[in-house]
Amino acid sequence: MKVRHWAGLACVAGMALVLVSCGKKEESAENKAAPAAQPAAAPVDAATAGSVSGAVKFVGAVPKAKTLNMAADAACAGAHSGPVSDLEVVANASGDLANVIVYVKDGLGNRAFEAPKDGAQLNQEGCMYTPHIVGMMAGQTLSVKNSDKTTHNIHPVPKNNREWNKSQPPGSPNINEVFARDEVAIPVKCNVHPWMKSYIAVFKHPYFAVTDAKGSFEIKNLPPGTYTIEAWHERFGTVSQSVTVGAKEAKTVAFSFKPDSGD
Amino acid sequence: MPDVQKEVQAEDPVVGKSYSAAILVSSFLLVLSLTWALYDEFFGLRPWRGYQGRFTAAYTKFLKQEIPKQQSALRAMEESPRYKELQQARDAAQKAAAPRLAELEKQTSLVNQQLGEITDSFTTARGKVQALTYHLELAPKGSSSRNSRQQDVEDAKKEKYTIELHTKEGKIEKKEADFFELDKMFLDLKEQKAALTSDRIAALKEVSALDAQIEEYKKEQMTSLTPDQLKSLLRAAQEIPEEIRQINVNPASLALNNLGSGGLVDRCQSCHLATDPKVVPPNLVLTKALLGVGKSKDAPFTSHPEADLLRFHSLERFGCSPCHGGNGRAVSSVEKAHGRYEHWLWPLYKPENYNSGCQQCHSADVVTEYAPVLNRGKELFRSRGCIGCHKFEGFDDQPEQLQATHQLIKQLEQRKKENELDVPRLNKQADTAPDNETAQKLYAKANNLTVEISNLDARMEQLEVKTESLFREAKKVGPDLKEIRMKIHKEWIPVWLGHTHEFRPTTKMPQFRLKQDEIEAISAYVWQTALPGPALASQPPGNAARGKELLETRGCLACHSMGEADKAIGGTFAANLSRVGEKDNYEYLVRWIHNPRERTRPYCPYEKRDLGPEDYAKHGLPFVFDLDHSHCPNDGHQLEVQQPTVMPNLRLTIEEARDIASYLLTKKHADAGYAAAAFMDDKVLLDKGKGLVRYYGCAGCHEISGFEEEGRIGTELTTEGSKPIDRFDFGRLTEVAKRGIIIQPDGAPTKKESEAWYDQRGFFEAKLRNPAVFDYNRADPTLKMPKPNVTPVDITALTTFLLGSVDPVLPPEYKYVPADQRRDIQEGWWIVTKYNCMGCHQIRIGQQSVLQTLPMYQAENKANLPPALTSEGARVDPAWLQRFLTNPPLSTTDMNRNGVRSYLQVRMPTFSFSGNEIQKLVRFFAALSAQQSPYVAPKLEPLTAAERDMARQLFTSTAAPCLKCHATGNPAHDKNASAPNFLLARERLKPAWTGRWITDPAKIIPGTSMPSGLFRREGDRWVFSGPLPASFHGYTKDHADLLVRYMFQLTPEEQRSLLGRTPSSAGAGAGK
Repeated sequence: MKVRHWAGLACVAGMALVLVSCGKKEESAENKAAPAAQPAAAPVDAATAGSVSGAVKFVGAVPKAKTLNMAADAACAGAHSGPVSDLEVVANASGDLANVIVYVKDGLGNRAFEAPKDGAQLNQEGCMYTPHIVGMMAGQTLSVKNSDKTTHNIHPVPKNNREWNKSQPPGSPNINEVFARDEVAIPVKCNVHPWMKSYIAVFKHPYFAVTDAKGSFEIKNLPPGTYTIEAWHERFGTVSQSVTVGAKEAKTVAFSFKPDSGD
Repeated sequence: MPDVQKEVQAEDPVVGKSYSAAILVSSFLLVLSLTWALYDEFFGLRPWRGYQGRFTAAYTKFLKQEIPKQQSALRAMEESPRYKELQQARDAAQKAAAPRLAELEKQTSLVNQQLGEITDSFTTARGKVQALTYHLELAPKGSSSRNSRQQDVEDAKKEKYTIELHTKEGKIEKKEADFFELDKMFLDLKEQKAALTSDRIAALKEVSALDAQIEEYKKEQMTSLTPDQLKSLLRAAQEIPEEIRQINVNPASLALNNLGSGGLVDRCQSCHLATDPKVVPPNLVLTKALLGVGKSKDAPFTSHPEADLLRFHSLERFGCSPCHGGNGRAVSSVEKAHGRYEHWLWPLYKPENYNSGCQQCHSADVVTEYAPVLNRGKELFRSRGCIGCHKFEGFDDQPEQLQATHQLIKQLEQRKKENELDVPRLNKQADTAPDNETAQKLYAKANNLTVEISNLDARMEQLEVKTESLFREAKKVGPDLKEIRMKIHKEWIPVWLGHTHEFRPTTKMPQFRLKQDEIEAISAYVWQTALPGPALASQPPGNAARGKELLETRGCLACHSMGEADKAIGGTFAANLSRVGEKDNYEYLVRWIHNPRERTRPYCPYEKRDLGPEDYAKHGLPFVFDLDHSHCPNDGHQLEVQQPTVMPNLRLTIEEARDIASYLLTKKHADAGYAAAAFMDDKVLLDKGKGLVRYYGCAGCHEISGFEEEGRIGTELTTEGSKPIDRFDFGRLTEVAKRGIIIQPDGAPTKKESEAWYDQRGFFEAKLRNPAVFDYNRADPTLKMPKPNVTPVDITALTTFLLGSVDPVLPPEYKYVPADQRRDIQEGWWIVTKYNCMGCHQIRIGQQSVLQTLPMYQAENKANLPPALTSEGARVDPAWLQRFLTNPPLSTTDMNRNGVRSYLQVRMPTFSFSGNEIQKLVRFFAALSAQQSPYVAPKLEPLTAAERDMARQLFTSTAAPCLKCHATGNPAHDKNASAPNFLLARERLKPAWTGRWITDPAKIIPGTSMPSGLFRREGDRWVFSGPLPASFHGYTKDHADLLVRYMFQLTPEEQRSLLGRTPSSAGAGAGK
């Protein structure tokens, strides 16, 4: 019996040793691994940063914009002097396509970027959303304002983010919300005014831009590298191309969308 | 002598012979056997010792790693701003309360001191008075001693005691007090003390509230165990005794035992230590990866993966083996413990069949929580038509019930006839009776018989009602073949019978093994016995493009799928419609889409034939039969007036039906072509065909002329899982199965070997893969079960279901037959799954409907989905729900609409449920939301005139856009509506739910169109968040409650006045 006890003791002691040493090893490994898992936001070297700019065109006959009927709410109709057009496709006669969001889809590796302190803005004015397309970063605050004399509700319908739907009566303070995950693009609607529509594109990085009335955009402060740049339009979907940006290089790219098969 | 000596010496075995070799060998043997014995003692016969040692080591290691992790998590939590904020608030509160507490403390100690100072004198005085009073009571009444004793008591009460009392100022006061004064002082002080205690609690109120918040926050943040808890676990783990761990299932029941005596004993935890809550607490989930034994195949150290299951099935009551199988007593080897040896009748279920263990007690459920595989098996058993041939207790048995009811009606009719003959006979006998007494008896007897006849009438009438209900409930898996002449292209039928799964790879119909002559005979029989008419009205062509849109928006895809192979979208509950154009006739399809329940001729079970216009004409009646005209014109019995299909009536217009039919007929393969089939009209084939239809049991799934009352042809499977293995006919594959040889699909053995499959599981799986497999190598194949259209996953599900379907070995009280609301849930699921309610609706929290998964209902289009019913019982008045389920358009004239959500394209169809089904559904929803039954609508406080004005103003203010989204009955307005009409609220909704809904709808249905934040919490009431009309100033009641009360008394006139418009003639949408 005694022998067994001793053997048992020895075993336990041995095991304890093994355990202690194992535990120590893993602990130290974890300590080392910790910083690698979450890379700190590496500052982009302004000295070498380049840019990508260009224009987005629509090839083919530009679909005619529908006129919105705001008769359901006098506060909306009264805010406009003339007819208001639907913003689904905004392009001029030469095919310059506005409201396209152009962004770096791929190529930044595991660089992480901090969200800006300033919030992204979405205003409800004349029962329309301005801007029509919001680009913002995950973790950035979206500040929604109601400039109208009627109650709106803001209802983003995301796929990968948390869904919410809040009522905002006239004169009430801004609604501040944050999207935690990147997603292109989250439709936003107002259930009270079914014609109101906006899209919010959320990114993990600051390299995105929405095309202006001339269809042009610029993505600045981009570290040298090879990127997949993608352009997204609410009706025509996405097109993308690969772009290599050298140090301090200002690259120009062009995107074009074709008419969709529908109607 | 020396010689002799020598000889003696030489012969002396001690000297001359050495046994050392033998001794050596035997001592080796002895040591060996000792070692062996010791090995067996400690390990060989006790393999659990090894497992326990390894578990303890791994567990201790894990805990040691976990402690520092949780310590740092705790530190991080303590440094989080929220925690600091709470802690600071708590400290501040404590500080703020400190002076008051100190003051209270001082007062309390003074009171305590004073109490101490008078207690002595008070108890002495009280003791004296009580003793003397006792003496007084002993003295006889009226005696002189009584008077003197009375005097003593009075004296004692007046006796003065000197007490020294501390005062507030700290001085000492000397006082004289008698018994009464002392008593009063004592009580006063006690009261003061109690008041001080409650003051102290009040002063600490804020601090305690914050303490509770801190604890709550800790709980939220520290999802795992705290370092202290882990440390105590570690201490316990290091001292885990090496012993057999045994569950003595309680209550000890002789029936609960698969060995024969002493109740059930499970020792599984001797190796599966992590399942013992004494070793690993239920809130710590151990996995192999966590324990660092992820790769080991022999490490049974994980926690039970479903801790919730153990909450409803306590180890003390259920043990392990009742659910898992196996031999819970055995500890000598893994094989023994798992019951995987010959003659043990309850081997451990394989992981993929774990759900089998639920079936024994949950056989009355069609949906069992936590048992998805079993549920799938049951669903397949029902939807694939297994039930058409195989009886199974608890599954749909309407055909049997119908037959029994018919028989009973016939018996009763016979009795009635006899009685009716008896009455005049008895009366006649009475008329001519020899004496009055006999006559009276006979008259009375005749009278009694007439009453009995009347009672028989009442019973028969009830049986007719039951028949009507059963006809509504009885469904066939396959289509009605009586209609085949009107519905189907003639040439297509033999092709379908021969190539069932090729033509429609997702069909529910199994593939029969038919020879060409059999196909011809069966086709000819069903064709020639099908109804020839009356011919269908011819239909003008519809608009196929519009038909496609209707099919995609009305909800057809919740059950049906469109598109072939991987392009198919939609539900699997009903047929894939991709090739309908190759087989269906247009006119029939239009009628079917318009109302799938419509029959060509009603069937009379009494006369056993289909009635025609001639039967009605004989009685001067028009040929009209439906749920409202369901009596036989010949004999008044209930007719079968509907097609026995689960497909509901979508209440489409005839134009819409034409559009959809036109679209469906475009769906065909470009190269589709079918050879002429002249044999279909060959009368000679009729007899042979009839025999084959009977032989193959076609009538199990189809309605066929001449087979209306055909029974099920297969084996009953209710307890198939406990049929002894030797009663399963493995045919020529018996040895193959015993040796574990893998077979090819046709049964031919391969060269490969695996585990033996000579068990129930092996039989079920092989049979379901290929029902003919056990005919392998038989000269004369006898098996006729057709090949079911199932995937390997389906086979596992069906096998799981069959394996669990056993003769109960557990005592009856273990069976899940709840007597409370859970029974309503249990019964409701049978209806919900029967009609595929979950194709459109979300009923269980977290469940997705089929429509939710379709591309046309994503992102913003989610608003077009049918409503989620996760809170339906709490939402609607059960009486209303009953009306709605009977009549979903909530109208008798305007049928082409949804009664509640008129704005939705997707349509709530009319199912023509039986009363019984509706009752079960209503109770089901009530039970799911834990609603009391019966429901008594609460009386709402009536609105004052001022309140009515306020509510009106709020309803119409720009701040509250209620009427922008909610329908009003005005078609122009409702074009853009996205919510129900308020007029429905009073009859439809429950006020409590409505209050919760308007204050935070996203809580009840996440993603709803109704916005949150319309009200904000102010103290203990809800206040409207927007700008308020002036009339609200000074209103102190709850605003949400005001609106709810207003909504529940809203009248059409009131609503029209709100809208400031003239009444619209369109259906106002009021709940009727």
